[in-house]
Amino acid sequence: MAACTVYSTQPLRTNISIPTSSKTHVGFNQKQVVFYTTTKKSSNRRTNSNNRRYLITCGAGDSQTIVIGLAADSGCGKSTFMRRLTSVFGGAAEPPKGGNPDSNTLISDTTTVICLDDYHSLDRTGRKEKGVTALDPRANDFDLMYEQVKAIKEGVSVQKPIYNHVTGLLDPPELIKPPKILVIEGLHPMYDSRVRDLLDFSIYLDISNEVKFAWKIQRDMAERGHSLESIKASIEARKPDFEAYIDPQKQYADAVIEVLPTQLIPDDNEGKILRVRLIQKEGVKYFSPVYLFDDGSTISWIPCGRKLTCSYPGIKFSYGPETYKGNEVSVVEMDGQFDRLDELIYVESHLSNLSSKFYGEVTQQMLKHADFPGSNNGTGLFQTIVGLKIRDLFEQIVASRAETPVGAAKA
Amino acid sequence: MAATMAGVSLSSPRVIFKGPESLQKSQAIRSGPVFMLNQRWTGAVSSGRMVSIRPVQASPDITGKVEESIKSAEETCAGDATSGECVAAWDEVEELSAAASHARDKKKTSDPLEEYCKDNPETDECRTYDN
Repeated sequence: MAACTVYSTQPLRTNISIPTSSKTHVGFNQKQVVFYTTTKKSSNRRTNSNNRRYLITCGAGDSQTIVIGLAADSGCGKSTFMRRLTSVFGGAAEPPKGGNPDSNTLISDTTTVICLDDYHSLDRTGRKEKGVTALDPRANDFDLMYEQVKAIKEGVSVQKPIYNHVTGLLDPPELIKPPKILVIEGLHPMYDSRVRDLLDFSIYLDISNEVKFAWKIQRDMAERGHSLESIKASIEARKPDFEAYIDPQKQYADAVIEVLPTQLIPDDNEGKILRVRLIQKEGVKYFSPVYLFDDGSTISWIPCGRKLTCSYPGIKFSYGPETYKGNEVSVVEMDGQFDRLDELIYVESHLSNLSSKFYGEVTQQMLKHADFPGSNNGTGLFQTIVGLKIRDLFEQIVASRAETPVGAAKA
Repeated sequence: MAATMAGVSLSSPRVIFKGPESLQKSQAIRSGPVFMLNQRWTGAVSSGRMVSIRPVQASPDITGKVEESIKSAEETCAGDATSGECVAAWDEVEELSAAASHARDKKKTSDPLEEYCKDNPETDECRTYDN
């Protein structure tokens, strides 16, 4: 894969090459070499046709952005996931300073998170008139999404529209500069096949209906006007569109984090203890699944016993190969809750292929954000692990791009 | 020990509000000793500090919108529960609830001094001494 992008420019009379070095906003150096050729000279092997002029911008190995897609229904912990993810890379992600205060974008040193709601083609009134939900593809502009994600991936800044969740209107666009890692989160990152092909890694957060109901109750009961019936009605009304458009994206995801009610407590309906499954697709480039004890075998493990004492209902792990939506996958599952630090570190020391840089990194990340929801169960654990996997993926891609010789691609 | 500052006495702790939303949202208020930052100290205070506690609830416009949208969704769906309009109305409720919960989280974590210091680290209030 070439690391240079070629642009056609206006014809110039002279033959100039100007090496410049510029610092991008993420602080890494990009060497930009500009070649201009006139019509007469056709010997430059980078140009095939006499009549075209080329502007060749060559970046250092890490100039191309890697794109991660994250899909989930609203209210399912995407923003928590984002904070964990950006924390793994270092730095806190914040809304862009000085811009629209209702912007959905988060920017840190290495990562930019774009909310796909910004690509709504219909604003709230438009959707109301047409009688479509935000889940419906008709309410989203996939062409623009594809163009802009492609542009950012190639190192070109874009003016991305802003969807204001407070007013329900489409605000004037904001400038998005290409970061090292671009995360697109929303309802439809994997819906459009062109956008799907741009993704280097994709994750789907699958929350079961019971857990979704419990979480939404927790979120909305504090708000005046909501009652149990209204929350239930809202979930039920959105279900058909959700199952038609959002749910099928599961099959394309490289990693699915499935959240289910616990099996440790019979007839539990409080939804406090969760059973979380990390479903990892096999055969994805640069992604080696996490496993327990022996890669490819089926394991069931209860860490609580002589060495570790846990409180009720304890913790149960399992691991094994499975088939999911027609793909070969490896599933790591955790049922239960962490109560103490030593449980966490004990579990971490028995998981393999975590892509952590030092012993205890997962525990450290979990503790750093102990106030985030899910920090004591599988949701936080697997989100953190996926974050480490993405970091590993990023480093492998950068390393492989540094090896390929810098060459030009024709515009 | 009673001390009066800007009209508030320490002996009977009262919660001081800042902002227009506070007056209606009394149910979410926690009572307790109150602290006041950035206020002139007119009298001597024996112990304790004063700070204003913000009610942790979304701003009135979002809350109002959530309520309105729920009402209108219920009305729309009273007619036909499976129509596109009904579904779109409940989707709007969902979107506004999500926005309200984000606003609540933002408010919970926002500390006025920290916000100010983020933008103006060189001012006197924000100077930090590490040694």
